[in-house]
Amino acid sequence: MRKKSQSLLGMAFFGPALVLLTIFLFLPMILTLIFSFTDFFALNPSLTHFVGLDNFLQIFQDEEFRKAFINTVCFVIIIVPLQGLGSLGLALLINKVTHCKKYFKVAFFLPVVMSLAVVSTLWMQIYSPEGIINSILENLGISAQPFINSSSQALPSIAIMSAWQGVGYQMIIFLGGLQAINPALYEAADMDHATPWQKFKDITLPELKPLCIFVFITITIGAFRMLVQPMVMTGGGPSHSTYTMVYDIYETGTVNWEIGLASTMAIVFAIFVMILTVIQTIATRDKEGKDVDKKAEKK
Amino acid sequence: MLTRKQKRSNWILVVIMIAASLFFLFPVIWMLANSFKPDAAITKDMNSFAAFVPPALNGSFFDNYVKILTDTSFVRYMLNTLFYAAVLIVLGVIVNGLAGYALAKIKFPFRERWLMIIMLLMIVPMETIITIHFLFIAKLGLLNTVIGYILPMIVNPFNIFLFRQVFVSLPDDVYEAAQLDRCSPIKYFFTMVLPMSKSVVATVSVFTFLNVWNDYLWPSLVFTSGDLLTAQIGLNAITSNDNTTMGQKLAVITLITVPVIIIYSLFSKQIVEGVVSTGSKEG
Repeated sequence: MRKKSQSLLGMAFFGPALVLLTIFLFLPMILTLIFSFTDFFALNPSLTHFVGLDNFLQIFQDEEFRKAFINTVCFVIIIVPLQGLGSLGLALLINKVTHCKKYFKVAFFLPVVMSLAVVSTLWMQIYSPEGIINSILENLGISAQPFINSSSQALPSIAIMSAWQGVGYQMIIFLGGLQAINPALYEAADMDHATPWQKFKDITLPELKPLCIFVFITITIGAFRMLVQPMVMTGGGPSHSTYTMVYDIYETGTVNWEIGLASTMAIVFAIFVMILTVIQTIATRDKEGKDVDKKAEKK
Repeated sequence: MLTRKQKRSNWILVVIMIAASLFFLFPVIWMLANSFKPDAAITKDMNSFAAFVPPALNGSFFDNYVKILTDTSFVRYMLNTLFYAAVLIVLGVIVNGLAGYALAKIKFPFRERWLMIIMLLMIVPMETIITIHFLFIAKLGLLNTVIGYILPMIVNPFNIFLFRQVFVSLPDDVYEAAQLDRCSPIKYFFTMVLPMSKSVVATVSVFTFLNVWNDYLWPSLVFTSGDLLTAQIGLNAITSNDNTTMGQKLAVITLITVPVIIIYSLFSKQIVEGVVSTGSKEG
């Protein structure tokens, strides 16, 4: 009797979430998977056929999707070292600095507070041909740069801006990690007259390694999902140089209504992101295991 | 004891860091300083250090802000967004909180399996299914409605998991005492469980607010007409209008950032804890 009432109560509490999860997560996921094997066109659903793996072959032959894929990978390659090493460097410096610690934390975190759309709008003014960067360059005797208006500079320009926006977030994570390192390790190193570089190489870096893996993969996943910046700043241009995977999914699905193709792209995209997430989870498991070992050793 | 040499190198580091932080923040400083200037002054100052200095305080100091607040629908967009955030915080805490409580404390069939599924759902990127959300909302005729915007955003596997992790450590004897007093489970949840877990409720609410305030893709898909736009979409409408001057654009992006800065300064402890814990607990 008690058991039965418990399961009823459980379903009553879990029910509202379950209904919404079914409609807005399970069903869309199943439909995306099914649609990825069809030529479903939302404006004429009656003409839908099962096309097998055709979509998967088609998108990789499609010039636009290939371009979008390459751009996304390029964006990842530029932003990951920039933002990852930048945030690590800032955290190390702020951890070492003796005064105004709080001010530095706030200053470098400030862009995180601004949304991507806001930052993109602001940097459109900053990057503009008559903008502040170009006038500074002019004072330094360097000729004006086109930035987001040229197909060779647009993607790096957006990557630098994105790293600027996000670097403070990972900086806070690294600062948390640095403060968690046992100070006794450094005291022991001081007794042995270790140089700052030795301390960094032999204590700080190994202690932070799991966190580094976590942070670098987080940035990679975030970079894979990049969409808002080109949507606001360039519309994917000039000549598709800032067109990304998610941008292609969005345009194919919600502008052209080619849900079948968009679903195929979404599946390819999801596979990449989920592989990264799984790697991240495995890397973190390792860390927890190590922590447990250390605690056991202490005892 | 610090040697004199160490003290000096400490101060050199501070000075270098202050210079670096000012360089880092130059876009924000430029934005603030120029949001108070008319366009002629912005262009004139661009070539000198005056580009980073606000103008003298005179009668026209707040002109750009006044223009934005009175001549555009920006206030309306801000109020819209605050309203959506409030509704989503209330519904989100109830729906995800109840589910988290069920997964933590109530023994119902397949509970462990549901928990596994919720954790797996956390890794699915939302961009994958946003096309289908859009299709659903369009087919239901809910495009350009508040319900169409809010409905897919209520449930959140991450928040369910967060609630569950906190509720699991609540003491059971309070529940047993409440049962002896014939307190119904629903009443117990709202009068005991939620008040005992203020910190997680605050965390979920703050992150829901930030998400609603900063979200761009979903509101840009759902809302097409002027009256219901969120602040971020309204920002785009205002700045892409040719009649908006540069100073006014900078004033809008300053205004839209103010509520977020207020939230961050009020809840900085929760937010930093949240950021650090995603880095160390799950990471």
